[in-house]
Formats: sequence, structure tokens, C-alpha cells
Amino acid sequence: MSGHAGVHAGGRVAGGAPATRLSVNGRPVEVRAPGGRRLLDVLRVDLGLTGTKEGCGEGECGACAVILDGRAVNACLVPLCQAAGREVLTVEGLAVDGRLDALQSAMLAAGGVQCGICTPGLLVTARAFLDARASGQPVTDAGIREAIAGNLCRCTGYVRVVDAIRLAADGRTSPMAAPAATRDGPGPGWVPVGGVDTTIAGATTDTAEGGAALDADPDAVSPSTLDDALALLAAGGLRPLAGGTDVLVERMARTATDAGYLDLSRLPDLRGIDLEDGALVLGAATTFGELRRSPLVADVAPVLATMAAHVGAAQVQERATIGGNIATASPAGDSLPVLLALDAAIVVLGPRGERTVPAASFFPAYRRTALAPDELIISVRVPRVDGRTAVFRKVARRRAQAISVVSIAVAWQVDEGRWHDVRVALGAVAPTPIRTRATERVLEGGTPGEALAGRAADALAGEIAPIDDVRSTAAYRRAVAGRILHRIVVDAARR
Amino acid sequence: MAARRAPTVAVPVVETGSPPTRTGSAVGRPVLRRDGPAKVTGAARYTDDLAVPGAWHGVTVRSTEPHARLLGIDRDPAFDWSRVVVVTAADIPGENVVALMADDQPVLVSDEISHIAQPVALIAAPDRATAEAARAAISLRTEALPPVLDPLASERTIAAYEIVRGDVEAGLADADLIVEGTYRVGHQEHVYLEPQAMIAIPRPGGVEVHGSLQCPHYVHTALARALALEPESVVVVQEETGGGFGGKEEYPSGLAIHAALLALRVGRPVRMVYDRHEDIVATTKRHPAIITHRTGVTRAGDLVAQEIEVVMDAGAFTTLSPVVLSRGALHAGGPYRCRNVRIRARAMATNTQPSGAFRGFGAPQTEYAAEMQANRVADALGISPATLRRRWAYRQGDETPTGQVLATSVAAVDVLEMAVAASDFERACAGTVASAVREHAGARARGVGLALGWHGAGFTGSGESYLASVAGVELTAEGEIRVLAGSTEIGQGARTVFAQLAADALGVTVDEVAIAPADTSVVPNSGPTVASRSTMVVGGLVVRAALGLRREVEARTGRPFAEGYREDARTHGASRVDERFAGFPGITWDAERYRGDAYPCFSWSGAVAEVDVDLDTGEVHVVSVVQAVDGGRIVNPLLAAGQVEGGTLQAVGYATIEEMKVDGGRFVNDRLATYLVPTALDAPRIRALFVEEPFALVPHGAKGLGELPMDAPAAAVIAAIHDATGAWIHDLPATPERVLAAILEAERAAP
Ligand SMILES: Cc1cc2nc3c(=O)[nH]c(=O)nc-3n(C[C@H](O)[C@H](O)[C@H](O)COP(=O)(O)OP(=O)(O)OC[C@H]3O[C@@H](n4cnc5c(N)ncnc54)[C@H](O)[C@@H]3O)c2cc1C
Ligand code: FES
Ligand code: FES
Repeated sequence: MSGHAGVHAGGRVAGGAPATRLSVNGRPVEVRAPGGRRLLDVLRVDLGLTGTKEGCGEGECGACAVILDGRAVNACLVPLCQAAGREVLTVEGLAVDGRLDALQSAMLAAGGVQCGICTPGLLVTARAFLDARASGQPVTDAGIREAIAGNLCRCTGYVRVVDAIRLAADGRTSPMAAPAATRDGPGPGWVPVGGVDTTIAGATTDTAEGGAALDADPDAVSPSTLDDALALLAAGGLRPLAGGTDVLVERMARTATDAGYLDLSRLPDLRGIDLEDGALVLGAATTFGELRRSPLVADVAPVLATMAAHVGAAQVQERATIGGNIATASPAGDSLPVLLALDAAIVVLGPRGERTVPAASFFPAYRRTALAPDELIISVRVPRVDGRTAVFRKVARRRAQAISVVSIAVAWQVDEGRWHDVRVALGAVAPTPIRTRATERVLEGGTPGEALAGRAADALAGEIAPIDDVRSTAAYRRAVAGRILHRIVVDAARR
Repeated sequence: MAARRAPTVAVPVVETGSPPTRTGSAVGRPVLRRDGPAKVTGAARYTDDLAVPGAWHGVTVRSTEPHARLLGIDRDPAFDWSRVVVVTAADIPGENVVALMADDQPVLVSDEISHIAQPVALIAAPDRATAEAARAAISLRTEALPPVLDPLASERTIAAYEIVRGDVEAGLADADLIVEGTYRVGHQEHVYLEPQAMIAIPRPGGVEVHGSLQCPHYVHTALARALALEPESVVVVQEETGGGFGGKEEYPSGLAIHAALLALRVGRPVRMVYDRHEDIVATTKRHPAIITHRTGVTRAGDLVAQEIEVVMDAGAFTTLSPVVLSRGALHAGGPYRCRNVRIRARAMATNTQPSGAFRGFGAPQTEYAAEMQANRVADALGISPATLRRRWAYRQGDETPTGQVLATSVAAVDVLEMAVAASDFERACAGTVASAVREHAGARARGVGLALGWHGAGFTGSGESYLASVAGVELTAEGEIRVLAGSTEIGQGARTVFAQLAADALGVTVDEVAIAPADTSVVPNSGPTVASRSTMVVGGLVVRAALGLRREVEARTGRPFAEGYREDARTHGASRVDERFAGFPGITWDAERYRGDAYPCFSWSGAVAEVDVDLDTGEVHVVSVVQAVDGGRIVNPLLAAGQVEGGTLQAVGYATIEEMKVDGGRFVNDRLATYLVPTALDAPRIRALFVEEPFALVPHGAKGLGELPMDAPAAAVIAAIHDATGAWIHDLPATPERVLAAILEAERAAP
């Protein structure tokens, strides 16, 4: 193999690129490449670790999954700067001393491998899932399926993949010696090109190339204080990047060409989940995975965890942040209706100081926010309201890894059987996430049941303005928004 | 008829380690996949994993209009064109065609643009960023022409067939009940997880390509034609391939020519690797189809007439449409005996991306319609769909619409009964029918549905005889046993199956058999890896070749092959036996009149699906699918179950979420974020069951298995939705939009 880990200058790296140190499969590695280069390209091209595959470059398929500091993530959406100083485990690091690990053995034995292109990503994702589980915690088929929902496999129907993970979890496979490679099939992994002059100027790469059609890699800066971050932002030319699950997708789709990234992942002020002055405070860089796992969230606003569980799939949840979701301001962003329904406020900081903007006025127009270009989102404040019930329902074309066709969050309190302080917010039915105040007025003071549900659904129809797009139709969105609100109100009557 | 063996049910999960490979016992055992270890360690090399010193990057300039005249290819003078190489149609040394059935598809547009994303020019540069920049600096000067986008409005017929048996008008006139239906199915994208990839390397006087592909010899032929090279000067090597499903049957030929044109022009290797977006917009899809049925039945439930019209959208070029259509037409009636049948089928040209091979090859489309009819007839007559099929399904000795007498290996009723029993279909069905009068309070409804399938094994008609495939087994001078076949491993397990078959025939262990690389300079043309033919047809040749080699070596050594072959290699040197396919005895086909034995035999399937429908939103969750199949004798139950499970899920996706919208000839769902395939959470529990009804004309008794599981489940899912909601969906996929509209209509109808 011509690629090699260790101190290595990537083939097509711009001269003078900074050195980034990280650990790959337990070995220290130094890479000279722009900080915006995809970890996937670093692994495959610069380090020659081609076991990690590229199926889409957009976070959809999980073929590129690796473990970053214990969590499965998609390497196509991780910029190198965010892997600096961290531990990366790839499929090549699973087998130890020539022995397959329990998962690898189980995948072979159960028949979970066919064409095999999805296998490395599946193995790595399953490894992270099994490692994260507390010992003794049972592993269910449903749990396994949820854990690997971000790993597409087009060959197996998943049956034997799930079997294999269960076998490994139950300790029913022991590591087996890696069977000797067969003498079948393709050649040695490189193609001899004797007779061709390979010294022509301009020829750069001598290792495998990433499949993605990417332009030159952006640079990145990773400040560790807010002051530095704001100064860099004010200087212009850098785009904030938190989890990168929107930014790197836009790069791949060529809807954005950013020259450089302002990496927010090293700012302690953007992290953490706390209770302050009667409000739940979520750092902007809180991931959906962290929301799902937080005991504080489960206590104060469990609906946030419910919502988080419906964002993408495991690998995206471990990267995508709530601040990024807010800043992108997609009408289908899943956190947004929930934040509207919970009367959340968004804390932003810029050269002119700190502002706290109610979520209800943060999204003025299609994919626009109240954020000025020189401001950053710092945190989200969700008031703690005792006795409040909040529910979230997402309708999408698929049970995981799918953008909302309609989403709805409803919050209310009950007093002597009547609803009050009702908030109804929806996603993907208007150019922005919206609160439907006329519908709220219909529900306010009402007794949940068929009659109220019917009136509320009728009112809702007059308040939303859905459109036809690639995911659904206006007519469907309109009908379904009313029907799921109806269902929520009727179900509440039976609580 | 060969003796019936006890059906094998369910495949046990092997706990660990490789099962023992006793001599003579490999076939029928769950031998572990040979390519597995390399695939679980990341050591397996797919095309884009290959390091090629000095390679340049190739990209494609594509049309953006469905129909236009190309007036010029303009280069932005601000760009430094000396850094790149550009190739257009004028630079093609041979014929400007991607050789396949009809030579109508150009390698690059020279004059007329026929569809969006058609290749017009190629660019190579030392690095990808430069190649991309050059692509952005090219613009096409065109004059728009009116496009034809609707196959029903098209006047250009790519292929047409008529199959007639009995008198359909008389049959319909005699019927007590006529059920009519029109069913539309759209493009389905393969979504092999590894996008198309090809590397071309100039060689003295020729070219060598390495790629992700199913059919090395297709690529070989196409390269020689377009590049005007002698066949000996062209080498095609299949690298580890990350899924194909038909999508890497014909498409890689054009890509290989592109890469080779650039490589020969630059004088150094060129790699062309599509990203997912390009792969979706530029490659073939399953043929969309519009299928209309009139089915006549008696009050007692006998099938007396089937009048069927099939229209497929071939897209802009012929590709494989004549044979896709042919298979679709031959399967259009479903696995049912009927005296009066008329099937008219045509494939029409449109200005859309050419449609191509996809698992099932026309049959999933037409069988979906046939099964919808069967279920709707059962519904109309008020009898169980299982009972109806017991009455209709082919039995041994029945005659198909082409006059083929099904003399052996007919298991339609067996798979039906197995699927019905394993899923407890009749009880589940009775339960949901009783609860059909739902209260609106329930937000979800359960339903079950049934469908049957059949799939002609191997190529249609005289295809196999015409092809005369060759496969061989050799003993090298070093004492290594190697199987030589151009059939490729694309995840289905061909390497493992061939090794099992050869091992048993030779009386050695599986581990003693190696499989030669799928390299056209090494292996003979054993035909394309398509049509579920590798195990049945090529496997049969491998067995015969192995037996021949065994006889030869044993004659020389006077000892059993296993004991004597190493010494024989030392003393005698290399030996090799090739076997050429020479037709199945007694199988005759009249291609002119479309009469006779369309296939040497058929495989059979029965599927029962159970769904959960959200009555508020129309979301359908397929909870479970039981699929019983007869693919003849099973060589490797582990691999066979994997084929059935994977095919079942592709069919469930086809039925529910896989939707390709087309707008003005452009694919709208052009990323994995919008063209959705099932995740592990969407996938039902799938149970694969096997009836083994051997095919007597091959030594190992195997029939085709790869495509069959795609045929029945879609209709079973739609029947289950009907069972749950009372609403019939006609067009695939059953999107929540369609299901909700049907539920609302049913709600309006029943006050
Ligand atoms: C496969 C996949 C599935 C997905 N599924 C869902 C889904 O189900 N539901 C859903 O809502 N979204 C989904 N998304 C979209 C995306 O994951 C979310 O929008 C996510 O919350 C973005 O967060 P991030 O940290 O990754 O943002 P980034 O990509 O880092 O940034 C997004 C935008 O926010 C800006 N930004 C980020 N942080 C800040 C800050 N603190 N201050 C100011 N600006 C900031 C960036 O400059 C950029 O413009 C999916 C994405 C992928 C790739
Ligand atoms: S390549 Fe598909 S998720 Fe990264
Ligand atoms: S084994 Fe082929 S995609 Fe999973």
C-alpha cells in the first residue's frame, strides 16, 4: 500500500499548510492540510486508510463513519480542524494483533456482509453503540436498528447485520483469528503503471483519491475564547462552523463556497447544559446527542430530547448542534417549532454586546434570522414552567434520516380540565417556522376533546401556507398538519 | 420429475467460525463468504481505493436540456486551457457508439442532445479542483428542440411484442366479472452504495481499465469499438464492486470509454469517480411503466381472460430495453393458468435518461400489476387471496401464454402454502377484515397482504444458446486449483458459490479452490453477471469443467483427485478444462413468433407483508415480510437468505418510499437526501424461507435466485395497505400523500 500513517505530507496540500496532530487507531499522526479538509480525505488520501468509504459525501449514508472520541460520526462532515488532538478509530483499527474483534467475527458468521461497501461504517457505528452502553444494559433489536439507522445498506435488508450486532452484544462471538485472505479476485490494491511517464509536472497525487468532487479545501481557525472568535468573525471571510452538518453539505452540493471556517468547537462558552435563574440554558454548541442524554433536559423539557431523537440518525445527532439548527433557520429545522412552543429565547453576542431575542421573533423570513453577520449564537434559554406539557410530532418520508414534511410542537398547561398558556408551533408549512396564534386562541381555555380538536384543526388550516416541493405537496402538508393537531388534542383528553 | 426434497426452513445463524468443509459436502452448506475477511477489516480494495501513480482526474461536461441541437462547445478564454485536456466527439478514434444491443447511444454528443445529463465533453486535469474549474469554464451553445417526455405521447417505438393464447375477446365475453385496472410505476434508482468508478491506464498499443462493474466483457467489446482497438489490446479488470443490481451492467461501458479516451489523450492514467449526485442524475434507472389489465373471471373464481397492455419508458436510447420489455411481457400475466390471454407490450423512446437493467429486469413492474389484479379480483369476489391463488396458480403440466408446457420444477403452490403457513396469513387476514369497520379513534391500522411471483431463470428465449458462455477450471503448474469465469462477485456471493461447486465436483475442500480475478486477459467470457444466471448457468459449466479436470487428472495419477492433484501439477504441469454452454436439451424458442420455451425453467416466490398505517398521516410502516422462494437447490443457504432479504427490502422500498420525480426530463430527487431508500428502522422483519425444487438440466439443480425476491413484495405491501384501510393504491410508490388521499376518499365515501 502506498499510503502510510505517520508523519506525512498529503499529496495535494497547499504549501505551508499548518500541521495538525491527531491520533488514528491509537497512533499519533501529523497531517499538513488546510483545517477545512474533510477528515474523510485525510484518512483515505493523506493516510492511505481506504477502509473508510465514501457513499454520498453528504452525511446521508454512513459509509464514512469513524469513531471520534468515542462517538460514531460521518467523516465526510468532519473538518480536519475538529479532529485535532482527538482520537479517531477507523475500521482498520478494529482488529487487534491480527484477530478480528467480536463484531467483525459476528458479521462474517451471521452473513451480514454482501458487497461490503457499507460494512466498515456499520462496524464502526455498531462498535460505538456497544461501547457506549452501560454494562448489563440489554440490547434490543429496536435499539440496534435505531443505532444503525444512519448506515444505509442496499444489499442485506439489514436482517443479518442486526443479528450480528446482537450476537456480538450478547458475547456469543469470540474474537476469531482473521482468516487468511483468499487468493481470489482483485489485485493488490495498487495498479502498476510501468511504461507510463509519471514525472510530468503537475502530477501530484500518488495515493488513492477521495471520490467527492471537491474544490480546494478551505482553511479553518479554531479560537478558544469568545473575544478571539468575535474578532475573527468581525474581520470577515470566515464562516462559523459548529457541527458542520449543514456547512459541509452545502460545500458538497456547491450551494456555498466558503474560503474559510471559524471553528466554534473549541469555545467552552458555547458548551454545557445548565439551570440558571429558572431557565434551562443550552450552550449553542450542544449536540442533539447531548440533548438526548442530558438528565437535566429529561427533567425540565423532555420534549427537547424527543425532538432530538428525531433529527437525522446517530452520526448526525452526535455532530449537529442546536445553534447550527437555529442559524440555518430552515423552515423544516426540527428544534425550531419546539423552541417556539417552549417560549425559548436565543442569546447572541457581538461587538455591540449581548442580546436576548425571543425565538418567536428570531426568524423573520425564509432562512433568515435576527442574527447580525458579526454576531454568534451563544446559548438558548428555555424557561422552566412547572406543570407544562409539551409534545412534538414529526412527519417525514422515512423513520430516520429524513427532513420533516410537517412538524408540530404543542405546549399547554391544564387548570380544572381546561387548557391555558397554549402554544402551537409548526415547521415546514410556511417560509419560516411559525407559531399559529389564531389556533392557540381557539384552544386557550378549551376542554380537550373531539369538538375542540376539530375547531383547532380548522383554525390551523387558515394559518399555514405550505408549498409543493421535492419532499411533499402543499395539499398533503395542509391536511396532515390539521390531522396531527387534532390527534394531539384528542389524545390529551385521554391523558 | 426429480424427487421432492423436504423444504429447508429458515437459516440458522452460525455462531462463530467457519463450518467444517468436509470433502464433498460444500454444496448446501452455509460456507462463509470468501471475500468477507477483507471486507470486515477494510482491506478490500474498491476502485476508488486504488492508488495509481500519476493519475489525472476526469470529469464530464453534460447537457442541461432534454432535447436540443448542439451548435458549439465554448471555452472561456480567461481559463488557462493548457493545464487540462478536453475531449469531444471529434476526438473519438473509433465509432462514436457505446456498443450494446442497438448502436444508437453515442459516447459523446456530436450533434443532437437527447436527454439531460448526456455526456458532451470530457476533461482531465492533474487534480480534481482544476478539472472542476475547467468544467465550469465550458458552456454549450444549443438550439432547443421540442422534447418528448411522455411515453404515451411518443411515436418512437424501441421494441414491441404481442403474446397471444386463445381468444381474449371471447374469454372476456364469457366472463361473469371483469376487473380493470391501470397501474403506474416510476423510475427506481439502484443506490448501489459505491458510485460508478473507473480508472483507465494507457498500455503500449492499447488500454487497460479497472472499475466497478458487473460485466467485464461488455466493457471490453464497447472499448474496442469506440477506440478502434484490437480486442487483444484491451484489458478490463473488475475491482471489488460495491453493489450493482443491474446498475453496473451496461452503464460502465460508457464510463470506461470516457476514462480511456482521456487516458490515451493525456498519456497517463485517468480516474473517473462519480459523486453520488452525478451518479443519480447521469445513470440508468428501472423502467417506468404504465400497465393496463382487463381480467375476466367466472362467478366461481376461475380465470378465463387476461388482456394486458404494457408501456415502458425506455428513455432516450435503446440500451437493454428490448430484453427488459420482453421479460416484462413474458411475466405480465403472473404465475397463473389462463386459456385466453393477450399481452401487448411496447417500449417507447422519450427524452429522459435511458432506462436500464435493474434487478428483476421488467418483471417487477408487470408482476406488480398482475398481483394487484389478482388481489382486486379476490376482493371483488369476496374470497381469500390465498384461496384464489390456489385455484389459479400454475401446476406441473400447465401451459404459459407462449405455449411453454411447465414440465418440471413448478413450485407456485408450494411457495404459496409455505408463505401462508409461516405468516399465519389466513388468521391474520380474517382478523383485519373483521376490524375493517374501524372506529376513527384508532390512529393506526394493521393489515396483511399476499402476492405470488415467478421468474424465468437465465436469459430469455435463445439468449443463452446465442451467448455460448465459457467457464473453466484449471490446475496451475504450482498446484493451485482456479475457477475461471468472467462472472463477477458483486456482493451476491458468486466467488463463494463457484468455489463450493468446484470443490464438490473435484472432491476437495472449499479452501483449496481459488477464483481467478475477473480480468478479461485471464478469464473466458462466461456471459454477463445478470438475469440470476451465474449460479444456474455458469455454475453448471463450472461443475462440468471441474468434473472434466478431475477425470483427466485421475486418469493420469490413478488416484482420487484430492490425493493426486498436487503431484500431477508437479509432474505433468498445468491442466485446464473449459466448458461451453451448448443449450438445454428439449428447450426450444421461436423468437419470430414469440412461442415456445421462454425460459428453461422458472423460480417461484410467495410473499406476505404486514403493515401498520397511520390513519392521520398515511405513513406506512411495513412491519414484516415473509417470503418463501423456490430457486431450485440452494448451494449456500446463508448467501441465498441474504439475497432474498436484500431483494425483499428493495421491493419494500419500491412499494413505499422510493420515488423519483421527473420534471421536464430532469430527475428532481437527485441526492440521497431526497431519493430515500429504507434505513434499518424502516426495514421490516424479513423471513426468507426456501422450497427446493431442483432443476434437472444442470448438474447441481440450482435455478435463479437473485432477482426473484424483487417480484412479489410490492403488491403484497399494497394489498396489506388495502387490508388496513379499505383503500386501493394503484400507483407506486404508496407515498403518504397517495395513501392519505385514498383514506380521505374512503372516509368521504363512508359517512
Ligand atoms: C444526514 C443529515 C440529516 C439531517 N437531519 C436533520 C433533521 O432531521 N432535522 C433537522 O432539523 N436538521 C437535520 N439536518 C440538518 C442539520 O443537521 C441541522 O440543521 C443542524 O442542527 C446544524 O447544526 P450544525 O452544528 O451541524 O451546523 P453547522 O453546519 O456547523 O452550521 C450551520 C449554520 O449555522 C451557522 N452557525 C452554527 N453555529 C453558530 C453559532 N453558534 N452562531 C452563529 N452561527 C452559527 C453556520 O455558520 C452555518 O451557517 C440534517 C443534516 C444531515 C447532513
Ligand atoms: S459518505 Fe455518506 S455519510 Fe459520509
Ligand atoms: S453489503 Fe452492500 S451496501 Fe451493505
